[in-house]
Amino acid sequence: MKKLVVIGAGMASGRALEHLLEAAPDTYEITLFNAEPRGNYNRIMLSPVLSGEKTYEEIVTHDDAWYVANGVTTRFGEKVARIDRDRKVVVSETGDELAYDKLLIATGSNPFIVPLPGHDLDGVIAYRDLEDTNRMIDASGIPGAKAVVIGGGLLGLEAAAGLRLRGMDVTVIHIMGHLMDRQLDAAAGYLLRKALVDRGIKVMCSANSKEIRGEDGKVRALLLEDGTELPCDLLVMAVGIRPNVALGKEAGLAVGRAIHVDDQMVTSDPDILAVGECVEHQGAIFGLVAPLYDQAKVVAQTLLGEDATFVQRQVSTKLKVTGCDLFSAGDFADGEGREDIVFRDPARGVYKRLVIEKDKVIGAVMYGDTADGNWFYGLIKDGADISEMRETLIFGPAFQGGAAADPMAAVAALPPEAEICGCNGVCKGQIVDAIANGAADLGAVRAVTKASASCGSCTGLVEQVLAVTLGDAFQLPASQPMCGCTELTHEDVRRLIKAQELKSMPAVWQELGWKTKDGCHVCRPALNFYLLADWPLEYTDDPQSRFINERKHANIQKDGTFSVVPRMWGGITNPAELRAIADAAEKYDVPTVKVTGGQRIDLLGVKSEDLPFIWADLNAAGLVSGHAYSKGLRTVKTCVGTDHCRFGTQDSTGLGIKLEKALWGSWTPHKVKLAVSGCPRNCAEATCKDVGVVCVDSGYQIGVGGAAGMDVKETQPLALVPTEQEAIDMTVAFVQLYRENAKYLDRPYKWIAKVGLDWVKDQIVADPDNRQALIDRFAVSQSVYQKDPWAEHAAERAETYTPIANLTLEAAE
Amino acid sequence: MMDTVLDKPLKTFIEVAEVWVPQGDRLVLDAGSYGELNDFAAVSGQESFGRGEGLPGKAWAEARPVVLKDFEGSYFKRTEAAKAAGLTSAVAVPVFAGDVLKAVLVVLCADDRNRTGAIEVWAEADGLLTLDDGYYGAARHFEWVSQHTQFPRGQGLPGGVWAAMTPMLFRDLGSGYRFIRAESAGEAGLTTGLGLPVPVPGKKTYVLTLLSARGTPIARRFEIWDARAAKVGAAKEAVLVDGICAREGPLWDDETERRVSVWQGAIGKVLGTGLPVLEDGTPGLSAGYGSMVGLPIYRGGELAHIVAWYC
Repeated sequence: MKKLVVIGAGMASGRALEHLLEAAPDTYEITLFNAEPRGNYNRIMLSPVLSGEKTYEEIVTHDDAWYVANGVTTRFGEKVARIDRDRKVVVSETGDELAYDKLLIATGSNPFIVPLPGHDLDGVIAYRDLEDTNRMIDASGIPGAKAVVIGGGLLGLEAAAGLRLRGMDVTVIHIMGHLMDRQLDAAAGYLLRKALVDRGIKVMCSANSKEIRGEDGKVRALLLEDGTELPCDLLVMAVGIRPNVALGKEAGLAVGRAIHVDDQMVTSDPDILAVGECVEHQGAIFGLVAPLYDQAKVVAQTLLGEDATFVQRQVSTKLKVTGCDLFSAGDFADGEGREDIVFRDPARGVYKRLVIEKDKVIGAVMYGDTADGNWFYGLIKDGADISEMRETLIFGPAFQGGAAADPMAAVAALPPEAEICGCNGVCKGQIVDAIANGAADLGAVRAVTKASASCGSCTGLVEQVLAVTLGDAFQLPASQPMCGCTELTHEDVRRLIKAQELKSMPAVWQELGWKTKDGCHVCRPALNFYLLADWPLEYTDDPQSRFINERKHANIQKDGTFSVVPRMWGGITNPAELRAIADAAEKYDVPTVKVTGGQRIDLLGVKSEDLPFIWADLNAAGLVSGHAYSKGLRTVKTCVGTDHCRFGTQDSTGLGIKLEKALWGSWTPHKVKLAVSGCPRNCAEATCKDVGVVCVDSGYQIGVGGAAGMDVKETQPLALVPTEQEAIDMTVAFVQLYRENAKYLDRPYKWIAKVGLDWVKDQIVADPDNRQALIDRFAVSQSVYQKDPWAEHAAERAETYTPIANLTLEAAE
Repeated sequence: MMDTVLDKPLKTFIEVAEVWVPQGDRLVLDAGSYGELNDFAAVSGQESFGRGEGLPGKAWAEARPVVLKDFEGSYFKRTEAAKAAGLTSAVAVPVFAGDVLKAVLVVLCADDRNRTGAIEVWAEADGLLTLDDGYYGAARHFEWVSQHTQFPRGQGLPGGVWAAMTPMLFRDLGSGYRFIRAESAGEAGLTTGLGLPVPVPGKKTYVLTLLSARGTPIARRFEIWDARAAKVGAAKEAVLVDGICAREGPLWDDETERRVSVWQGAIGKVLGTGLPVLEDGTPGLSAGYGSMVGLPIYRGGELAHIVAWYC
């Protein structure tokens, strides 16, 4: 009999041996080395062993009896030290030599350990084999023990879920923006995160690990880049694998990222084959089990001299966390010529997305309903033409004409005590009673219950209660949806973001049943604003959801250059600032320098790549961004007031500076302009601003809702207050009320026209506690957003302003 | 290979299982598995329960699983017959599909100081699962420990079932519960645990756990079937997602799916009727077992899972 030596008793070589022994049990005398002190077990089922849902015995594929029965000589717990290809022998770590006719390398892979300071501390482990699993089980036995898992991929999440079931306090750290980013898109990643958080697991995405801290040689905590310290008794690194190629490389086999094999799984040495995670085939390496089993079949046939070819195929992914149903297959990256078909059912937590290219399904992601996963997987593998079933494809093979989700179902499901109108404290039951007593339209309900009679943001909801209660006797007025991605209006979305505590874009898309995968150019900027305004601490601003001016922090001009406007507090400047501006204008060949209507200096015609440098220069002179491009506070225009003017009644310049220093940096639904005039002669033109303060002998007249653009509006009086501090308080509270309630891209005058000035006065003037609460919430938001974007971008993101390198020069060289 | 479930136990922990179904305003006996307790079977066949009446009626009226450990002087209606049969404790599990009561499953146990096992009802209070009640046989210390244990979401068998909203089968209660209930569970010989959600109308959360000991297992074969449309599609089918058997070893297979259609075998009968199914002495039961209980678990009015145990 010929001699076959196999190095590594993992799942791939185990399957190869099964095929070989089944086809021709007497062809080879087989010796199987394994560094682990055991034979082949189903490694991918270690997660349920960790969680207690399986025993190790259950996942053993080949027990001792199997090896004996099949005549396989086992040398478990014994490493192979080297391969002598010239003599065709393997040398074990004990120096023992064993000859082979054919050698099969199946050394698998090693977990990748991020070389963070402290990675070698006791308690820092990978998640790869039974030893790791048992260490985790042991660690979970300590009362109150905490675990941190670095890596939000398949393995990391399975480890986290298992440790949690074992009773540990678990935090998952993931460097990317959503979990399982290689298998899922952001929407599915959001649902998965929600399911894990629901299990009591803390999840931190976009988190960078910096250092592992220890005490007495044992892990104590993980320190993140942002300074957060996560105490832990166990730190599991599950960030990926590296093919274990050392033996092959040392033996002189062709090795790239892994051991090169041809279609027959033969290495560069015709008598040495390789299989599993240690191989590289046509540039690809492998981590999932399905292609490994395909390889195993080919290995067995090659060893028997039969013709066989390994063909890479699409793989699908499932997560082994009980109760988390997800499926992912194929390619679902965005790309030219690709289209998405998206289905969401917020009530059932279902998200399905198919990626179509040239009438074929090339990718599928689904969460919450995976019944059709294998059918879609088949379509992907077969490259089936789906043009005939395109309309109903997403509903799967058993499509029976399913209707779109009913947007009113949520309203119908509300209990009678659910509050509909927050302003007037009106519950659904009161509205239903009013309808039962004859109120048949919005006006009647409003008259009887006061529901929607104040800010009006619940109008849509009241109408839906009418529709649910009256059936087809009530005609829902056509409302303008936010965009093509949803049937909901801006007001509905704002209300639901607050009510359902939606704190990320994927959360909004999923829970509100967005029809597209990730929104569009219309809804994304609005959602980005709503989320950052409502959840300043929890939500992270998404630059990709901003218009170019806000992304670039400068106004783009018609020739593609940008304008740069430094902030001048209250319109006051000094010789040093003016010199810095002049120097910058000269240095960067600024063709036009203009004084703006808002009392600032505009440098027009700055090239994109110069932006970070001109900002840095201006920053050095103490100048910060004037936000002349933003949906945010623009300028506070002032007159000279009592300092210089004979008619001035108060320090209008001083108040203007204070207001600007309080409000700058805040994002608002649309741009906000202020002015402070020192007397009723109104030299600062305060009565056509969003907020205009006119100083009078008795104090400060605060007007709101003015405009001097396409529409010209005079401000409406909000309050007359005696002190400067009250004027600041009223203004800040007004801006915050506007931020919290207005529709994106509504200037204050438009918003006030919808909600009524009386409601605004009720909130700010008549209710000091509410005013203070608004001021407090504004302060929280400013703690995050009041920062100079120029400084940040000049320091950290300069490269994003540079056009892509001109490669023709390199080619010439 | 399996040390979690023994093939030939001396005695099983549960002596009697019954399914009571609503008929008009009363619960009537739909099926019963009585073993050799013929007299108790005869008395039960004559019985019916109004809402709030007796143990099944109480589970119906109060919409929660009910544990009754002492029949004497209680609302239990068949005290004399039970006493004669040596039965002393019972657990009633209502099966609700949304707001509709489909059936009440009643299991009865005999008092025997040598029988160890546990049937526990966990209820949510203030964000934690605490023991509502339980029957433990001889596992008295474990009972005391359980009374003083709480499970947050995602932790342990009850917390895992609660978070995942799905039945779960734990092999490793002894070492797995570690600091929670481990030592005591290990001492009591409790190894395998089946946990299942018991959905009821309203917002209350209940989790039922059946903990099996080596000598007196609750059953010798456990199965969990997934029947959700989200898993099996529109067809009335179920796939076996986990299971363990004293005769056949592990029942799960990560490569080949076991699937049954409606009316196909005992599990198919649960799919078809939507009711708990009891089989006693029926030929053709899996692995040649003599009896089985198949319990449907609903989610939002739809049949979601089936758990089955065989003796």
